[in-house]
Amino acid sequence: MSDNIKVKVQNMTKRFGDLLVLDDISFDVKKGEFLCIVGPTGCGKTTFLNCITKLYEPSAGEILIGGEPVNLKKHNIAYIFQEYSTMPWLTVEQNVAFGLEIKGIDKATIKKEVAEVLEIVGLTAYRDYYPVELSTSMVQRVVIARAFATKPELLLMDEPYGQLDVELRFKLEDELIRLWKRTGTTVIFITHNIEEAVYLSENILVLTNKPTTIKKKLENTLPRPRSVVDPAFVKVRNEVTELIKWW
Amino acid sequence: MGRFNDASKAQKSICAALAIAAFILLWFFATNGTNLGVVLAGPVEVFRKFFVSFVQPLGTHTIPGHILWSLSRVMVGFLAGSALGIVLGVTMGWYRIIDAIFRPIYEMIRPIPPIAWIPLAILWFGLGEVTKYFLIFLAAFGNVTMNAYAGVKSVDPVLIGAAKMLGASDRRVFTSIVLPACVPHIFAGLQIALGSAWATVVAAEMVRSSEGVGWVIITGQDTNNSVQILVGIIAVGAIGYLLAILMRGIEAKLCAWSERGK
Repeated sequence: MSDNIKVKVQNMTKRFGDLLVLDDISFDVKKGEFLCIVGPTGCGKTTFLNCITKLYEPSAGEILIGGEPVNLKKHNIAYIFQEYSTMPWLTVEQNVAFGLEIKGIDKATIKKEVAEVLEIVGLTAYRDYYPVELSTSMVQRVVIARAFATKPELLLMDEPYGQLDVELRFKLEDELIRLWKRTGTTVIFITHNIEEAVYLSENILVLTNKPTTIKKKLENTLPRPRSVVDPAFVKVRNEVTELIKWW
Repeated sequence: MGRFNDASKAQKSICAALAIAAFILLWFFATNGTNLGVVLAGPVEVFRKFFVSFVQPLGTHTIPGHILWSLSRVMVGFLAGSALGIVLGVTMGWYRIIDAIFRPIYEMIRPIPPIAWIPLAILWFGLGEVTKYFLIFLAAFGNVTMNAYAGVKSVDPVLIGAAKMLGASDRRVFTSIVLPACVPHIFAGLQIALGSAWATVVAAEMVRSSEGVGWVIITGQDTNNSVQILVGIIAVGAIGYLLAILMRGIEAKLCAWSERGK
């Protein structure tokens, strides 16, 4: 296998009883790639991520990370949920440090890394606040900062901006791109928002309705920074929209 | 926002003071203007006796002395019951096997009010202090266990998932997620337990004691002295209220992050 492949999904199938959710899915994600996965609502996008992280055991097939079966203790994978997963009893700073502490990194390094990431997401002034004192978008930035602080080899994001308004979403998307470029992390980003997928991705994986298969893997070569009103952007967006239509 | 809170706080304090004053006035007129005064002492008499008892002993102790006796009994039983309650509740909530073994027994014992144990406790431990500790222990233990258990059960699975994704071991999940997450629940349990323990010490002292606020009340009954009964009752109410405020203060410090701590 090529060294350049970070994630290899082979014939992944997932059934819940008689319900076939994922049907024989295979694809690769290159190292440092930003892959967006789009599909109709309820097509099993989250099930798909949960299989990658072993929260669910796939019914058949396998997932290799760096050529090895997924092992959360060994592979440094970060997962950003739809729900906000900050620890309410920790301050912003302690939340971002949490992942690093679990990995047993020394205090001085943690302090440095946390300060750096907080600066990038613009939360330095809020480092002593508790999540309950922050707005939803700030809380989600804490989660993202926590994920990037651990320098994950693979970052999984499941509609992380689904609950934000458009302006904040744009801001956080730009921030995400900055963090991704800086760290070279491989990102798999799930969304039902086609515009978001076209804005962020290098590649777009379009899924079908249940039982879910891959409809198409689309290369997105639009230059950055991208603009949602650019005709070339609109063209790609329309293309993805056509692919996703199931009616 | 802060100013608004200060204003509404002041408003609350004024309302509280007015309500208490109105209650005392009502008490005053009811006992002075009607036949109720025959069976119930008036507020002037009661408060005078209450404050006089700060220097003049009732029985063997002054009122502060009786309060300290009762408080010391509460503390022993409450601390022991709470400590065991937290351990049992948290481990029952987290470990299935402990839940399976202990919860049926706990659920059977829980609905029994502590005072129902008085006869048995006297048979076991006699009429001394241990009986009182035991009853208060039961009162605290029941409440704290329930809340600690509920606290663990209500830990957000998203947080557990997030910690696991970051590579946390089961042990780490327990110490870094489950324990801090259930602190507000445990505190709610401790508050109820303290109230319940305070109620139980009065009952226990009324059964048999030579000091304590329960003794003040029951001796008032024995000597047909409604002033003394009311002095005891006021002491019980005031200390119960102070304990509740104290617990709220500690909670606000420890749970600054949660809605309850606000």
